[in-house]
Amino acid sequence: MQPLTPRILLFRTVVATVLLLAIMLACALVGPQDISLKAAVSGPRDGATPGLDYEILMRVRIPRVLLAAMVGAALASSGVIFQALLRNPLADPYILGISSGAGLGAILAVIGGLSWTLWGRSPIAVFAFLGALGTVWLVWGIGRITGKYQVTGLLLAGVVVNAFFSAMIMFLVSIAKGQQLYATIFWLMGNMAEEDLFVLWVGGGSILAGLVALFFLGPQLNIISVGHQDARSIGVPVERVELAAFAISAFITAVAVSLSGLIGFVGLIVPHAVRLLLGPDHRQLLPLSGLAGAMFLVVADTIARMVVAPAQLPVGVVTAMIGGPFFLFLLIRHSRKVYWPT
Amino acid sequence: MAKWWLLAAATTLWMAGGYALVRSPAPERVAGPRSSARARIVSLAPNLTEILFALGLEANVVGVTQHSDYPPAAQNKPKVGTFWQPSIEAVIATRPDLVVTEAFEQQRDLARRLQRIGYRSLVVEVETIDSLFRAIATIGDATGVSLQANALCANMKMEIARVRARPRPRRAPKVLWVVQREPLRVAGRDTFINEMIELAGGENAIGPTLHVYPAIGAEQVIAAKADVIIEPAMLPGTVDQQHRQALSYWSRFENVPAVTAGRIYVIDGDVVSRLSPRLPEGIRTIARCLRPSEFRE
Amino acid sequence: MTAAIQVNQISFGYGPQKPVLRRIDFAVEPGTFLAVAGPNGAGKSTLIQIMAGILKPQSGGVVLEGRNLNSYGVREQAQRIALVRQEFVPAFGFSVIETVLMARTPYYGQWGFESQEDRDLVAKALELTDTARFASRALGSLSSGERQRVFIARALAQNTPILLLDEPTSFLDLKYQAGIYDLLKSIQADMAVTVIAVTHDINLASQYCDEALLLYPLPEDSSGSTDGSGPGRPAQFRIGRTAEIFAPEEIQRAFGVHVFSGRVGTERFILPLGARAKDANPPTLRT
Repeated sequence: MQPLTPRILLFRTVVATVLLLAIMLACALVGPQDISLKAAVSGPRDGATPGLDYEILMRVRIPRVLLAAMVGAALASSGVIFQALLRNPLADPYILGISSGAGLGAILAVIGGLSWTLWGRSPIAVFAFLGALGTVWLVWGIGRITGKYQVTGLLLAGVVVNAFFSAMIMFLVSIAKGQQLYATIFWLMGNMAEEDLFVLWVGGGSILAGLVALFFLGPQLNIISVGHQDARSIGVPVERVELAAFAISAFITAVAVSLSGLIGFVGLIVPHAVRLLLGPDHRQLLPLSGLAGAMFLVVADTIARMVVAPAQLPVGVVTAMIGGPFFLFLLIRHSRKVYWPT
Repeated sequence: MAKWWLLAAATTLWMAGGYALVRSPAPERVAGPRSSARARIVSLAPNLTEILFALGLEANVVGVTQHSDYPPAAQNKPKVGTFWQPSIEAVIATRPDLVVTEAFEQQRDLARRLQRIGYRSLVVEVETIDSLFRAIATIGDATGVSLQANALCANMKMEIARVRARPRPRRAPKVLWVVQREPLRVAGRDTFINEMIELAGGENAIGPTLHVYPAIGAEQVIAAKADVIIEPAMLPGTVDQQHRQALSYWSRFENVPAVTAGRIYVIDGDVVSRLSPRLPEGIRTIARCLRPSEFRE
Repeated sequence: MTAAIQVNQISFGYGPQKPVLRRIDFAVEPGTFLAVAGPNGAGKSTLIQIMAGILKPQSGGVVLEGRNLNSYGVREQAQRIALVRQEFVPAFGFSVIETVLMARTPYYGQWGFESQEDRDLVAKALELTDTARFASRALGSLSSGERQRVFIARALAQNTPILLLDEPTSFLDLKYQAGIYDLLKSIQADMAVTVIAVTHDINLASQYCDEALLLYPLPEDSSGSTDGSGPGRPAQFRIGRTAEIFAPEEIQRAFGVHVFSGRVGTERFILPLGARAKDANPPTLRT
């Protein structure tokens, strides 16, 4: 495999972006209600009320597709980072407790019966965000006390925190009233709803900023993913880079989780799939996994909306059911390229 | 250095965009006729559908959820999804002037989303009997049929009072209300079912609990010493079958008064599982279980 | 001439009861090929790691080109010292050339890509280590010896005046052992690099290295403190030309085993003979 050059990277990024935009448009035209692009584009009818096609396309479908894209990008890129930092191909963005922290925050909000909103976002989303970030901070702190940021220390802290918070979640779930319970579980399984433009702007902007920042850490992440000592002796400030990458990924994951609940598999398999196809160089892996994750989640969400219409499946179910077999297929086809440490 | 300038420019643009979005006015929809006979209403819960029909708004209802089965005419209305998962696209496709939802998080969130897109939505809480009457009044006000709403509430209260006025024994019979047999779950004191039981002249066999629908063990069943066991039928049309299964299940609890006296009842689930204008009928059904001799109709 | 690297009175222990190094003190002139030898547990790897700045000594310090090692930033230090540890297969499948290119990470441009100068350095490193022919292959598909050469190429690509290696030929067969030492010698000769290698192989060290540092393990009854040493205590190390350091009596004393010694040409060879070896108890110790 040839080493990466700026030209190759630019070309691949542009192609992936165009592909993503095409997929987003196609999926926006698919849904429980039949709409036609022509009718939508001819815009508002009779001045007063907009046409049905236009309204559904612009107010329901497109915001939802945009949301799926940004959440997918955030989760996939975050997965790349965690796999590099923990030097573990089985890592995903939730491995250090983000999932149970967000879940705990969500269920506390539901049981607390709060009904205020922040910028129109329900309290579940806000508390999930705070829960996610708080847990990451806690795990980092525990890891620091025990293992000086060493990988094993962090992983163990994450497992412990996950276990403890999961137990608390189970207890709270058992005392929740039926409707609260249902609401929480559905939130936890991942849901996509159309959000207003302001939320998309803030969320999308933060995620995009995070992704760009992570891209610049690409070269350092390459050598860090080989080994810490190797990185240090080559002159890379390992602790600083790891802290920055970790913090940024945790942040964009928390944003993604607060926007759409816990959607699994994206952060685990998209990095692998891209790595199998294009190689492990993080300068390429980061932007392309982001784009691939966006595509994947947009398609998965469309399937979730369509397959049991008018009801919808939780997106997390669809990502697991597509993701698993697809990854198996990739693995078998490219098994020559996989080297497991002996 | 070029990187930092780019970053500063991008951040400024982003904040400016965000500010502009915050300031931009919410979309104006031409408000549909509020109280005209042509108002298009969507109901997202079966009991809300029953209320709308009871208020005489049958012609205005243009969308209901999947299991809105009462009154029978409601089954012919267009469906907009299920109670737990209404489809926002289907709702919009009916071009409603008003969408009525319940107050728990899932539906409240949907109401918010519809509001954001520019549709008028009404959130009503229907968790207790009092809130049911308030909900009827609220819906009546919002749809311009306050008179009918008041009349409906008055009728319901009168029916309930009639049931309560019947002579009743000195000691209220203890009722065990079983929502699920395996694992055994009952309705606790903090439910509207409890209210109905008390209005019918009974008392919940279970004391106050943390859980709203607590799971209980055999010990508690025996300690509760229920005089009457009532099970709402899970599926329509299975009352007899469930009654047979109930008898064989409960026969193992020989020490429970309800079992020795053979007072195990399986009743139609619909009337007692939702708070609706059929509330008096539900209370009467329960009262019939408690004092069969009184209500031989 | 300022020493390339100087070790001043270094003492180190992995805990108060486990002293490993006691008042190690020596200097290495630029362009020298130094072997660090000694029995297991003598502290050879520890010493190398201290010299590379990975471990901090409890007392004493390392002076690098006249300045204290502590005063160097991470990147500055990486421009002076390159470290090669034992080879391993990393979790992610980078190719040989990608691996060697990583050595140039601190020098990448604004958008994270290497310059032509970086590419030239890497090409030269690949050529020197004879790894250019599998530049595109994944690291995991190579043999141990080839992988070790790649890691040496990566260290070379750092373009540093000092090269530290921790047992570069363990687990390698005879051909690769000679190959690696040939490579190191040519690096020393052609690029004027100071090479310091920890080794178990005294004979190869005799043939290739200029100087040797022999470390003795600290005796069991050492006092807890690691810097107490009266005039009566023997030094923990000896440093000098390989011929004098690898004298058979010294080896016997340091390693605690009978040896048979002979002469190859200008250098000796040393063969350990246990009690049950076929030629145990040779008649005389030939020198």
